Amino acid sequence: MSIAKYQLSSIQALYGSTLGVDVDELTITAGGLHVLVGANGSGKSTLLGILAFLNRPSHGKMSFDGVPVNWEPKECTLLRRRVTLLHQNPYMFSGTVAANVSFGLMARGFSKESAQSVVKESLERVGLTGFESRKAKQLSGGESRRVALARALACKTDVLLLDEPMANVDRATADLLESLLASLAAGGMTIVMSSHDELLGAKLGAKVIHLEDGKLSRTPGPSPSSEFPHSTGRDNANS
Amino acid sequence: MGFIVESLRMALGLILSGDREVFSAVWTSLDVALWSVVFASVVGVPVGIAVALGKFPMKGAVRVFLNSLMAMPTVVVGLLVYGFISRQGPLGFLGLLFTPKAIIIGLTILATPVVANYTLVAIQGADERILPTALTLGASKLQSLFQLIREVRFGIIASIIAGFGRVISEVGVAMMLGGNIRFYTRTITTAIALQTSNGEFAFGLALGVILMAISLAVNVFLTVAQESHRA
Repeated sequence: MSIAKYQLSSIQALYGSTLGVDVDELTITAGGLHVLVGANGSGKSTLLGILAFLNRPSHGKMSFDGVPVNWEPKECTLLRRRVTLLHQNPYMFSGTVAANVSFGLMARGFSKESAQSVVKESLERVGLTGFESRKAKQLSGGESRRVALARALACKTDVLLLDEPMANVDRATADLLESLLASLAAGGMTIVMSSHDELLGAKLGAKVIHLEDGKLSRTPGPSPSSEFPHSTGRDNANS
Repeated sequence: MGFIVESLRMALGLILSGDREVFSAVWTSLDVALWSVVFASVVGVPVGIAVALGKFPMKGAVRVFLNSLMAMPTVVVGLLVYGFISRQGPLGFLGLLFTPKAIIIGLTILATPVVANYTLVAIQGADERILPTALTLGASKLQSLFQLIREVRFGIIASIIAGFGRVISEVGVAMMLGGNIRFYTRTITTAIALQTSNGEFAFGLALGVILMAISLAVNVFLTVAQESHRA
């Protein structure tokens, strides 16, 4: 039986004045790849923001590793050190690529020296060996996304959340991402990514979570979704 | 035209000869301007950040109030501070009137809203992805705030320089609170006002040239810093 990484119950989140997310029950198991599939405005980014402990839901309960989340500022800071969200259009801090990739490590109190080897290793993983001293603001869009991924990987968190990582990337970057995410998931990391692509989940062998107008949709996808305790018994097979 | 050229020649002579009165006024101006900008920054930068990022009632009204303070007439500030520090005032016992400290107090009051407003604009103009990016990489709220400040540091430096520009060219406060005392509280601007009215146009022009040079140097510094940041 898989262990639950996240358990969401009656979670509602407002996006502006409209209800962006309205999830009755959702369990995301620890380890493996999960794909949030939905159209634009279906609430994928809002839900990722909640899973990243960036956005507090307006209603509902959530637990992480079986511990209820109270959304206290200090608790959220600690939880955010276990989860990283890679935004769809990542922001590069001013300075070098190395400074960007080591940002999370420095925030965790690593010394520059000890961060160096992690930076090097993370850049290697995304195919940007030797980019350490490049100015981050001068990178191309594709390079920026890879650096952002390296920056997220360097944090070595339990959970990696990715908002539309496959959108607007070239074939080579998409291939690299797919193989990297597969290897991370195989290594036990919990990965939740959003996508428009209905077929991506099946392609990656991921658990698919369908979102429609902020609600979980039970429409069968290419790969049966993760857990919907209130839906059919078949859906609970993964829990 | 000959009058101006001749005055300019005499002004350059005063500068190059290191005229004591000219350089005393320059030193006093720089001294009071720098201290007041330091104090205005200590107050104004946090206020600007707090108003930009804070969520509180009447935020719009606070912004309007801060904007209004930027246009505060210098003589009114001079008058108010004078009321507090004159012998009959509640702080009269401190003996601050007609001292450089009195000028610094007045100039700090003038520069603070300038620094706060420009800082507010810099923070509000910052990329809205900065804070969530820092937070999701594990930074605490304070670390994220420092990162935001780091990202908009040239905007904040520009706000401080705008504050400096406001006080280095100011005359009302320096005159009312400093008293334009030779070799003590006489600043570039009060000296220009006095000497020109006394018919010492070349002297005033010499100080004017120095004042322009200071303003130019400060702006060149800011431009070079910004360009090197972009490179």
